[in-house]
This record gives sequence, C-alpha cells and structure tokens, in this order.
Amino acid sequence: MLFLELFLQGIIQGSIYALFAVGLTLVYGLLRILHVAHAGLYTLGGYFGVLVFNSSGSLILGGFVAVLGVGFLGIIIYRLCYEPILNQPPYVPLIASIGLFIAMEELYRILFGSYGVTYTNPPLQEMLPLAGFYLRQGEWVTILVSIVLIGGLTWLSSRTKLGLAWRATVTDPQMAESFGIDPIRVRYFNFFIGSALAGSAGMIVGILNNLVEPTMGSIPSYKALAIIVLGGLGSVRGTLVAALALGVVESYGTIYLGNVLNRDAIAFVFLIIVLMIRPQGMFRGV
Amino acid sequence: MRLKNILSLILVLFMFLGIAWADTVKVGFNVPLTGFAAADGKSALNGAKLAVKQANETGGINGEKIELVIYDDQASPKEAVPIANRLIEKDGVKVAVSGSYSGSTRAAAGIFQSAGIPYISAYAIHPDITRSGNYVFRTSFMGEVQGRAGALLIGQTMQHKRVVVITLKNDFGKSLAAGFKAEASNFGIKIVNEYEYSIGDRQFGPIVAKVRADKPDAIYASGYFFTAGPLVNQLRSGGVDVPVIGQEGYDGEQFIKIAGAFAEGVIITTSLDRDSNSPIARSFISEYEEFSGNKVDMVSASTHTALKVVVSALRKAGTNNPDAIRKAITQTQLNAATGKISFNKLGEVRKNVEVQIVKDGDWHYHSTIRDQTLLAPPES
Repeated sequence: MLFLELFLQGIIQGSIYALFAVGLTLVYGLLRILHVAHAGLYTLGGYFGVLVFNSSGSLILGGFVAVLGVGFLGIIIYRLCYEPILNQPPYVPLIASIGLFIAMEELYRILFGSYGVTYTNPPLQEMLPLAGFYLRQGEWVTILVSIVLIGGLTWLSSRTKLGLAWRATVTDPQMAESFGIDPIRVRYFNFFIGSALAGSAGMIVGILNNLVEPTMGSIPSYKALAIIVLGGLGSVRGTLVAALALGVVESYGTIYLGNVLNRDAIAFVFLIIVLMIRPQGMFRGV
Repeated sequence: MRLKNILSLILVLFMFLGIAWADTVKVGFNVPLTGFAAADGKSALNGAKLAVKQANETGGINGEKIELVIYDDQASPKEAVPIANRLIEKDGVKVAVSGSYSGSTRAAAGIFQSAGIPYISAYAIHPDITRSGNYVFRTSFMGEVQGRAGALLIGQTMQHKRVVVITLKNDFGKSLAAGFKAEASNFGIKIVNEYEYSIGDRQFGPIVAKVRADKPDAIYASGYFFTAGPLVNQLRSGGVDVPVIGQEGYDGEQFIKIAGAFAEGVIITTSLDRDSNSPIARSFISEYEEFSGNKVDMVSASTHTALKVVVSALRKAGTNNPDAIRKAITQTQLNAATGKISFNKLGEVRKNVEVQIVKDGDWHYHSTIRDQTLLAPPES
C-alpha cells in the first residue's frame, strides 16, 4: 500500500512538473530559446491565485486570473524581451531570460514582501479518502486539473485550425509561412498556452503549500531544463513522460535514497543515466 | 596656481570636517536581505535596528551614536567573505554581528578572527563558527545543545518513545539532529526512522505517506517556517496526528499562518518566552511590534540580543581597541529578551531553553529546560 501511495505522490509531483515543463518545451520547440523567465511566470501564477482568493473568496476567479493573466503576460514577455533579439545568437535570449527571471524574483520580493503570502482561509486542505488512498482535496484536484489542461492542449493542437497552424510552424516554419500561416500569431498562441500552464502550476503549488514565495521558481527553473532535455527537446509528449517519471523517481528516492542523495540531485542523476543510454532524450524532439 | 591652492585648501578643510563629523561608532552587520533567506534577514535587520535605536536613545556609546554598517550577504559564503573584508578594511569596524545563516557566518568568522575583530553570531548555530577562535561568540544555542534539549523534552517531559526524525539537510538541521540523536537513548527514545529534505522542498507528500506507515509516537522535525509550515500542514491533513516537536526555526507568526489550524499543539525549543513576566522580554515584544509592524520571532530576538551585547561591551571598553572590546564581551552578564546572557570559554552562550507551544493560534509558554549539565556547550 505504501508502495502505491508513494507512486501516487510521484504522479502528483510529476503533474506539477508537467504543467511547468510543457511551456518550456513549447518555447524551445518553436524558437529554440531556453525560456528561463518561465519560472517567474509560474511564481506569478501563485501570487495571482492567492491574492485574488484572499480578496474575493473565489477559487474559480483566482484560477481564471492565474491562468489567463499569466498567459497574457507570457505574450508580453515574448513581445518585449524575445522578439527584438530573435536574430541574435542563442546565448543572447538566454542571458536576457536569466536576467528577467532574477528581476522578477526581486520584484515579487519588493512588491509582496520577503515573508511570502499565505491563504487566509486555505482551500482544499481537507483529506479526501478515495479508493483507499488518503490524499488531500488539493492533491486530487492537482491530478484532475493536470489531466484537463494537458488534455485540452492536446485537443487544441490536434483538432483546431490554430493548433494545426502551430504544429506546422514548429515542424517547418518557412513552409508554414508560405502557406499563409501568420508566424506571429502562432508565437503568441505558443507563449500564451505555455505561460498559462505555468501559471496554473504556480497556483496549484501555492494551494498545496499554503505559501507563495518570491523564490519559489528557482528550483523548477533548472529542474525543468533537465526534464525537457530528458524528454527530448521540443517534444511535448516526451516532456510529459519525463515529468511524470521524474516525479515518481523523486518520490521513491526521497524515502529510500534521501540519506544518500539530495532530492534535486536525484533528478540530475536520473537525467545522466537516461542520457547515457539515449543521448537524444526519451522521445525524438525537434 | 592661486586657484589650485585655494581648491587644495578647501579639500583639506573638508577632510578635517569629515573627520570631525565621523563621530559615529560603526558596528558591522552582514544579513541576507535578498535571496532565499530574505525573510529571516528582514527580521534580523529589524531586531538589530531596534537595538541600535534604543542604545542611541539612551546616550549611545558615551555620547557617540552607533551606526550599523549593513551589507546584504544573501546567506551565501561567497558573498560573506568580501563583505567581511570590506567591513574590516574599508569601513574600519572594530566589532561586527552576523544576522545571517551558518554558511555565510562560518566563512566570515574566519576572516574576523584573523583580523582580531570581535564577531558575534546572532542565530547561526553551526558548531565550527565559535571554533574559529576567541574573537567569535554566539548569542543563541548551538545546534547540538538545542537538539539535546529536544531529546529531554520528548523522552522525559512528554514521555514519547518511538520518534521519527525529519531533518533539514543543512548546517542548521544537521546539527540539531546530531544533538538529538546523541541524547535520544539516554531518555529512552527509539528513533524509528530519519528522513532528510532540502531547504528548497515544500512538498512532502512521500515523507507524509511513509511517516503514516511508520506510526511513531512523536515527530522531531527541523526546519524554518517556510519548510516547517508546509510540512506540518501536510502531515496533519495527511492524517498524522502525533505531536510534532520543532525548534527555533519555526519561531514566528509566519509558521502559524502557513500551517493554519494545524499549527495548534506544535511544540518548539527556542529562546523567547512570549508569556514571560520579565520586563525586558515584555518591553522587547511590544517595542519590536511597534517598530517593525510585525510580531516578534526568534531571529529578531536573537539579533536584538547580539546587538545589546555589543553595546554593553562598547560602553565598558570604549570604541577603539578591538581586544578590549573582546575582553568586555567575554565578561558579559546581561539580561536580554532571550534570557540571561553570559559566555563560556569557547564563546558559547549559557542559558535555559524555553519551550513554547501553539495554543489558540499563538505561541505560549509550555515549559523551561534548566538542566545546565545537559545544556552545557563544549568548552573547546
């Protein structure tokens, strides 16, 4: 039973990683940029969620603001930060992204305080036993929301025109443009979706921990890089599998290897092992 | 030619005026104002500033005002070392206090020791800090000492025998766990399992699941409010009802805010008694709240005490001779908010351990541990 509980905990953690990392791989797949500032948007999702809930009492409203607000901000970041430097060598957007992330962390600390923000009336804290598993409501919701959002993304990309245009642009940008697909619209869509997912992950984590801190994006920022490399750079399916796998490995690793290896180190050991066997990552990326 | 002479004269005049104006006493202060430890840094800074304000309002150091020379070390040893050098060489401080974590304090302590400048660690608990030499002191408990107190509290006072230990994997958590484990068997405690976590962890799902399976009588968990808050929250909502005993890292209102109703009944070993009748503690609690706009926590109280020790030593020994200041610190007999302060040969503080419990959403008195043999810090 413990074995299964640990597995389920791993899936929960992995779902959060998935929501975060998918956005990162989407940006890489389209523009070959390592969007480190993505972690700043994740943190902002957490802040939007807690601040809206604390002032309005509505979790749904908080969810909307976290997802949509962060999604739009992702587009703005693309417009202001990346679009002007797209034709520069890859390290230029990378450095800009890192700088932006550091600035965002400090801005949150200045605006919202060093102590972090908590939910005044924390939602979804109670235990909800289902099928013999004792998880909190928030944890069940995490799994549900991840399935819905990722499922929605899959539907969007395979069943809508915009999704088709997007997939075409990722595969072959010039061909897609010659067919009349507007690359700018595709990029906005890309950043919106990726950032919205990150915002939802931030809000979920804020609820699970009952704490939103300025530096909460630090660890996901580099762990997600490991995840998208593991999954195959640019492959959404690969990222999903890698995220869930990492969550599960960390879950067992924390308990059974915790005295030997740091939990974050486990992620990287896992990465090294997989890359030694399959250097291109688990799935073929772009 | 004439103009150059006049300009030089003006420059020299300003130099002399500058020297005449430089009649503040500088006390060095390294503290994490940005980065992952910024929350504790803010508390430490407020505690220090309050102590300096109070000292300046009561005559300063024989008429001279005290000035805190503050540097942000981000709780990083890499930042602390150049800061220590700058304080000694550029700012010329004759005494300094660390309002930072053990990693940075350890690094800076070596520098201050070599330069012969007294350095007080306000709340960083790693044992090697005072082992840097006779110029380094500490106004809060060593990790090992507090860990031993935890073992007495759980095994003897509370009579719990099967304990799970959850340890924060840094200087702070590891020294607490070491002290606890050293004394556990003397109080009849069997450590069922130990789990470790990193300072960045906030999600403890796997540990909660495993602890539920372990079925202990009590949990001894080290951490800061931003790890202990989520940990206790998740333990309780995960169905683990046994007593949780923590340490001074929990000590503040933030822990209670994060853990919410689940904070009720959590017990910690710490330095500050919120229900204290001592006028010094009571006045600190109310003045700190008025000064900073926040409720007190251990970090602000310990830093306040460290600055009070510095002020008292400066008033006794004057402001020019670091060696005289060091000597005055060794002879400290001070009543502070965190207790009666005096130092042993190693520069470690000797005082009782206060035990506090969360009741009705706030910290309150639980008990005091006075066993001075158990609590004796090492002499070298």
